[in-house]
Amino acid sequence: MLFRVDPASSVPLGDQIAACVRGALADGSAAPGERLPAARELADSLGVNVHTVLRGYQRLREEGLIELRRGRGALIVPGATAPDRARLVSRLREAAAEARELGLSDEEFVELARTSLG
Amino acid sequence: MNRATPRLRALAALPFVLALAVHLLLFARWRDELPAELATHYSLGDGGEADGWTGRAGYVLISTALIAGLAAAWTALVRRRALWGAWATAGFTGGLLVQLLRNNLVDEFEVQVSEPAVDLAVAGTAAVAAALAGWALTSLVPEEEPAVRSGAPDGPRLALGASEVAGWSRSTGSRALTVLAALALAAAPVVLLVLSWPDALFGLLGLVIGVPGLALARVRVTVDRHGLTVRSGVFPKPRVRIPLDEIAGADARDVHALAEFGGWGYRVRAHRTGVVLRSGEALVVRRDGGREFAVTVPDAETAAALLNTLAERHGKV
Repeated sequence: MLFRVDPASSVPLGDQIAACVRGALADGSAAPGERLPAARELADSLGVNVHTVLRGYQRLREEGLIELRRGRGALIVPGATAPDRARLVSRLREAAAEARELGLSDEEFVELARTSLG
Repeated sequence: MNRATPRLRALAALPFVLALAVHLLLFARWRDELPAELATHYSLGDGGEADGWTGRAGYVLISTALIAGLAAAWTALVRRRALWGAWATAGFTGGLLVQLLRNNLVDEFEVQVSEPAVDLAVAGTAAVAAALAGWALTSLVPEEEPAVRSGAPDGPRLALGASEVAGWSRSTGSRALTVLAALALAAAPVVLLVLSWPDALFGLLGLVIGVPGLALARVRVTVDRHGLTVRSGVFPKPRVRIPLDEIAGADARDVHALAEFGGWGYRVRAHRTGVVLRSGEALVVRRDGGREFAVTVPDAETAAALLNTLAERHGKV
């Protein structure tokens, strides 16, 4: 899996790392059940802090895209639906960013999302 | 790319042919004086008395197979500057075998005795003499072509922004190798318990196959600012690393485990090294000096593109 981050970008590095995994899962270059590199290794590869990588992994876990197992590292959730889930999360994040640009508050956005569940 | 010329291979095989010929000739010449059972193993404790015997036919077979095996290995892997090593190996092996025959030249009811120091001294002298001959013969082989370092690595590229940092990491494995290694490991204690000494030593073979097998059954391949790194998914060491400034180019292509590498696992051939877990897609790196390093891994195209890009960027700094 290819990780590319831009330290000059305004997007936090942890989010950029999470986006790499999401993108790889969505376009099929990472498969469900695949093991991600250990946080320490990835941090060394990219020349970033271990905690930055861990923040990215933590975000992916909250999104239900990876499992963090003690001693076994980070694992993309097994199951055929993982790529679709990754695409869904990406679209949600795009929608949230768009809402902020439109000047919506976070509460308003959540309310909007709840209404669309209708 | 460097290739061992037929001449170099012939010169590497020659000392083994000589050793085999001398050994068999002496065996034939001393035929009437040699016992039906040759003493082939000596105890270290009791003044070097013989404690292991082999029949004549068996002895000829085993010694010939030993020389042939060494010859095959040296012929396959020889490099110009290591030619003397082939000669030294042949000299040492030949010397030991001839000493073994000489120690057997005793009257029927005497005990065969070996003096390890004398045997080793004779074999060592033979090895040194042979090594000198081999070293002298090296001049008959033309120099290997000097390494051609092209300005920039060739192969695919990845568009990377000026401030962007990138790394690629992938774990890959072989289920067949995992199963085989586990079986070998499981067999080791069984053999140790069931067979009597010293046959039980074969049990160690299980460990010798099982431990490296298991270490290689799952590997992680990383391409980043340090270069290409392949390490075991089980143990943190050993690992193989090719730094960016030794990389002349990277490519993704299909490799054939048996035809190109003669098997699976960590393979060393005359001009290429590889971590080969299956036939198929592999990341192939050309090093300065023309040697290739291959590792079978999915999505090798991306890895090769990133490696070329990083190597090029590294060269500019």
